[in-house]
Amino acid sequence: MASLIDLRSINRVYEMGGESLYALKNLTLSIDTGSYVAIMGTSGSGKSTLMNIVGCLDRPTSGSYSLDGVDILRCSDDQLAEVRNAKIGFVFQQFNLLASMTAIDNVMLPMVYAGVPKVERYNRAVQVLEQVGLGSRLYHRPNQLSGGQQQRVSIARALANKPSILLADEPTGALDSHTAEDTMHLFNELVSHGITVIVVTHDQDTADHARRIVRMRDGEIVDDTVCS
Amino acid sequence: MGLAELFLIAWQGILSNRLRSSLTVLGIVIGIASVITLMGIGEGAKLEAEKQVQALGVNLIYIRPGSIGTSGVSMGQGTAPTLTYEDVLAIKENCPAAEDVAAQYTSSLQIQAGEKNTLTTVVGTDPSFPDIRNFHTAQGRFFTVQEANDSARVCVVGDGVVEDVFSGASAVGKKLLIRGELFTVVGVMEHKGANATGDQDDQVFIPIQTGYSTLFGLNLVSGRAVKSILVQAKAGEDLQAQFQITNLLRLRHNIQSPDGDDFTIRTQMDILQTAQSITGVFALLLGATASISLLVGGIGIMNMMLVSVTERTREIGIRKAIGAKYRDILMQFVFEAIVLSLTGGIFGILLGLGSAYWVGSLGQWTTVVTPSSVVLSFLVSLAIGLFFGIYPARKAALLDPIVALRSE
Repeated sequence: MASLIDLRSINRVYEMGGESLYALKNLTLSIDTGSYVAIMGTSGSGKSTLMNIVGCLDRPTSGSYSLDGVDILRCSDDQLAEVRNAKIGFVFQQFNLLASMTAIDNVMLPMVYAGVPKVERYNRAVQVLEQVGLGSRLYHRPNQLSGGQQQRVSIARALANKPSILLADEPTGALDSHTAEDTMHLFNELVSHGITVIVVTHDQDTADHARRIVRMRDGEIVDDTVCS
Repeated sequence: MGLAELFLIAWQGILSNRLRSSLTVLGIVIGIASVITLMGIGEGAKLEAEKQVQALGVNLIYIRPGSIGTSGVSMGQGTAPTLTYEDVLAIKENCPAAEDVAAQYTSSLQIQAGEKNTLTTVVGTDPSFPDIRNFHTAQGRFFTVQEANDSARVCVVGDGVVEDVFSGASAVGKKLLIRGELFTVVGVMEHKGANATGDQDDQVFIPIQTGYSTLFGLNLVSGRAVKSILVQAKAGEDLQAQFQITNLLRLRHNIQSPDGDDFTIRTQMDILQTAQSITGVFALLLGATASISLLVGGIGIMNMMLVSVTERTREIGIRKAIGAKYRDILMQFVFEAIVLSLTGGIFGILLGLGSAYWVGSLGQWTTVVTPSSVVLSFLVSLAIGLFFGIYPARKAALLDPIVALRSE
């Protein structure tokens, strides 16, 4: 069976003052459905670039990328937006919630862009917010919630359109260790429901929860370990 | 996304910076309000001019003597005494489309009653004058056909003359000296106000035959000139009347080519058109002035939208990351601009209606706000939002999601 994510010979080159900088160098990586992968590396190792490409926010300079059977390099900007909307849920380090909206409005936003009918949108938003333990905070704005709660709203938003991949960029970077632990347990639970979770981090404790750790340096994969 | 949803998103964006949004809206409010008010003043002037022309009478045709002139140098209309009272009688006799005819000979003369005297315009005319000019007596009566034929020494005075020489007391039956000749006042005209030709209330009307024999120094031998002829055409026959009169006068004056006419003939329609073209230019100028403030308001919207796009780059990045397409972002910001300008438009229309009413109540100007100017203002404010919103919205929609997400 083909992998969910299949990256082959990916190069991502930035032209800077006549020099070519390789953020990703001839990178090949496959990730199967239902895996829990941590991508590790120091800053400048190319892990963020890799996350942007996997998340369809950026296109590789060369190589091929097939996501759930879709050839990403052939997609227009709007088609990429559709792929992000339907298949990928993002969890950002700074949560990136819209400050003027309540928790439930934030969670309903991806469904607005997907064209989900209003009632269904509302029901589904309540359901995912309950799933992350925020059933009693539906109408709070981000500034009325703690960091851990904001993180959970952003996870709920990522899950709203039932994506196959949850892509988390330094999900524990802004949280205390206790809340970080809770988030990791939540990710474990999602994986057990069949969602593929990819965590980009430089933190070993965070990475230890994953079942597979991919280490990067200078745009290349230097280590790929499946934990027992 | 449905319209209601777009409207809601736009509204949230606007509310997120109330002060700035209100100031931007204010620009449009002022622009639309001045358009409504100034167009109201322009329309009012147009209506006022039409009313004045209508007040001249119904189906009126106005004939004046031509000008003296050689090789392109004209001395001005009415300088050649080419129309005579015989022309008036001929028109009455021979033009079936002419309902009624009245000659006019005016002269500026001194009048006196008791110890008071003043200089006024004495008009020699026919008994048909009040009906043709739609200008009637308020007290007493106009002079009769009999009095005209007898060259009776009777006169009818304007209500301004009553003020001047009779100190406002009832004038009917009193004696009035016109350049030393004794006349009896038989009537007082209604108040009419001033028009383009002067104060219509500062006039004394006498039978034209009496004028010829006593005051004007004209007789059958010297030729009984008239200064203008008023013709009331039969209803719906203005053009026939104009045609018949032109041909008759050419025949009587031995004129071969149309260029050599020694008279000018204007219908009420001509006068109306002249008045309309003048007030039309006036209205256009007012409208153009107001449009400038509207343009400035539109630029205000564009400015605010550009600042808003820059400030909300991160929000745009987030929206794009979770699946907003080019069109979604474009519509969000275009809608925001349109909601701003339409809000301004609606308040501007209300303010404009109020201020047009206020200007009208001052009494100097008549203001008329037509429904079409309200609809036009509404559509213009919609167009402003669209026009000035589309550039900032495109800028937002074209943002690279990664760059946008990274911005603070």
